[in-house]
Amino acid sequence: MNVEISDLTRKFGRTLAVAGVDLQTGPGVFGLLGPNGAGKTSLLRMMATVIPPSSGRLCLLGRDPGSYGPRREIRRRLGYLPQTLGYYPGFTVAEFVEYFALLKETPPARVPAAVAAAVERVELGGQAKAKLRTLSGGMLRRVGIAQAIVSEPELLLLDEPTAGLDPEQRVQFRGLLREIGQRATVVVSTHLVEDIGAACTEVALMDRGKIVFHGTPDELTARGAGYGVGDAPLERGYSAVLAAARS
Amino acid sequence: MTAAQAPATSRPSPAVRRPGLATGRLLRLELRHNAMPWMVPVAVALFWFITYRKSMALPPLWNVRAVTLQSGAVVDFATPVVGAAAWMGSRDGRRHITDLVAVAARPRWARQLATWAATTCWAMVAYLGCAAILYGVTARQAAWGGPLWWPAAVAAASLPAFSALGFAAGWFFPSRFTTPVVAIAAFFVLALTTQPIRGSQSYWQVSPLVAYPWDIGPEPGVATFYRYVPDLSIAQLMLVAGLTMAALGALGLPAGSGDRWLRRSAAAITAAGLLAAGTAVALAGTGRLDAHGMIAIPALHDAAIDHPIRYHPVCSHGPIPVCLNPAYTVYLPAVAAALEPVLSQVARLPGAPVRISQAAATYRQGPGNMVGIEVAGPLLSGRPPVFHLLLPDQLLGPTLTVSQLAAQVRSSAGPDIVAGVIGGGTGGRVSQAQQAVTAALSAAGGDLPGHASRGTSPGRTGAGTPCGQCVANKVSGRLAPGTPVFDAAVRFAALPAAARHAWLAAHLPALRAGRIALAQLP
Repeated sequence: MNVEISDLTRKFGRTLAVAGVDLQTGPGVFGLLGPNGAGKTSLLRMMATVIPPSSGRLCLLGRDPGSYGPRREIRRRLGYLPQTLGYYPGFTVAEFVEYFALLKETPPARVPAAVAAAVERVELGGQAKAKLRTLSGGMLRRVGIAQAIVSEPELLLLDEPTAGLDPEQRVQFRGLLREIGQRATVVVSTHLVEDIGAACTEVALMDRGKIVFHGTPDELTARGAGYGVGDAPLERGYSAVLAAARS
Repeated sequence: MTAAQAPATSRPSPAVRRPGLATGRLLRLELRHNAMPWMVPVAVALFWFITYRKSMALPPLWNVRAVTLQSGAVVDFATPVVGAAAWMGSRDGRRHITDLVAVAARPRWARQLATWAATTCWAMVAYLGCAAILYGVTARQAAWGGPLWWPAAVAAASLPAFSALGFAAGWFFPSRFTTPVVAIAAFFVLALTTQPIRGSQSYWQVSPLVAYPWDIGPEPGVATFYRYVPDLSIAQLMLVAGLTMAALGALGLPAGSGDRWLRRSAAAITAAGLLAAGTAVALAGTGRLDAHGMIAIPALHDAAIDHPIRYHPVCSHGPIPVCLNPAYTVYLPAVAAALEPVLSQVARLPGAPVRISQAAATYRQGPGNMVGIEVAGPLLSGRPPVFHLLLPDQLLGPTLTVSQLAAQVRSSAGPDIVAGVIGGGTGGRVSQAQQAVTAALSAAGGDLPGHASRGTSPGRTGAGTPCGQCVANKVSGRLAPGTPVFDAAVRFAALPAAARHAWLAAHLPALRAGRIALAQLP
């Protein structure tokens, strides 16, 4: 298992953002669904080692991120795209991706090829020398994805990766996720259930800091049989599970 | 959380990581996307308007140019460097990129140091360029001596300190307002550091702005006859190095900067930096003004450098040659011309100096900001006698033009030369006859600034005939009109030069001994 989580909690003051989550997952694309404020981003930030958990056990890539040495090794093998992507406007696409490749301690000799490959994989090869300040929101999102995958991570954490992407790019992005998911663990937090259906092999649904469903997309779809809320089968499953959890 | 035993996936460990190469690439990116290059034109423009033009207006003496470089460059570069560094330090916070960079494997401290180093590199390149131009021009203008490196080194070492302090401020307070606030604060803090300086034993003289005893300003005579005393520079280097270490070390203290070893190192560096800075301040407080016009710190002082610098003086040609330190070659014609009328009055008289030789000033710290500057020993001494001349621009006051300097030489040294020849009489008292002769010769030699007319000797008409009214005017500047001494001085000064000289040649020993009465003067 690349991700092993048990009874994980995270508090912000008196607010319990993540309330005793248990989760195990290996290579593949793992979808994290849930309404706003469900705790998806907090869980992802703990998995990305941005914030430490308040309690519980977190094991990533077989290592405990609580100590500096293992945490550093995890970070070398980790890709992360935060929900809000900050960037340096004066950097070009290639420079921004190179910067993060160097921060992730990618061997310097590999950096140029890794940067070129990452930029090509998000279809930004033509804009590699464009300054970030000149790019659209969707392009910036792809730059964020490129920096996340530049070090060929074993654990890729993406928070709302398809926000701002047009339909064609989203289709291409799902293909990229499936490709990466063949050898690495990809955790995707999203509101868009069609992304889950098309790309994920596993899905978890969070509500109020807890995982209220964990299974395959087909199993989630099955939960929605006969439930009327939602346009697509997966949306009906999503709504049915949430309704059951809140009842 | 608990530790797990084995990795779930088995990717081979990454290929050989070459930290130096990676750091080089990171530095290249930071150099390319740094705020400092935008501030370089500002710093260079400030240097041009404040430091370079001021330096070029000063005499082409290495010591003067060097200390002006230190004080000026520190002021010119402080604000732009602190501002640019604060902007770079606050970059991640302003750009809301902290989450993204927080998950980097490279320790945060190492990343910060790369950004700081890039900022400092740009500042240093700009400063070194400015200093090279200033020193290059001085090398072409200066007649003698070589560059002083200590003042230039202090200014150079100040830049990493400013950069580190600004960067730390930006990092700990990541706001767009941090930059202007710390840039302005840096200027005022620097300016204020010199305000409390009182005398040569002030702790505040450790400020990198201070390149010389603050009470006397950039003295041309300092470090010309004696080697530059680097004690204060060493203390200042300790201070700025300590501040650099403390600021950079502080960046590595917060959690998340690196592992325990790295944070302990940062704490040790911070402590060492603070210790060095504190020691430097304490050392500066023990400084004292030495006899050669520089600040000596006993704990740092190397007595071996207190010997005078050997030089071959440059001399004018005349009955009494005027000899100056070769650094003052440019002044020689003016000084010799200024003294020529006086020297012609006393040349070949018994006891007259065989040479006018420039002397080093001796400095003495008085109470508060008072500094005494004088020639050590008698002005006229030796066998044969030599007159020791202190040039006016070795004294307190603004920088002089060549003509101003010549006028001051004439008015200050002229009477001293005459008085040295005529003597002070028995018991150190000046007889009335000596007073009258001294005043007459000084007036005839044109010692009073503002009375000399171009192309004519003071007290004479254009045809060389003594002018009675002119002579009276000259003498009235030294003696009260209407007194017997005044009348005798006017009478003596109105004599033809040859007659005066002949009478002095015959009666000078008696006059010096005080045996000539006022009435005996011709």
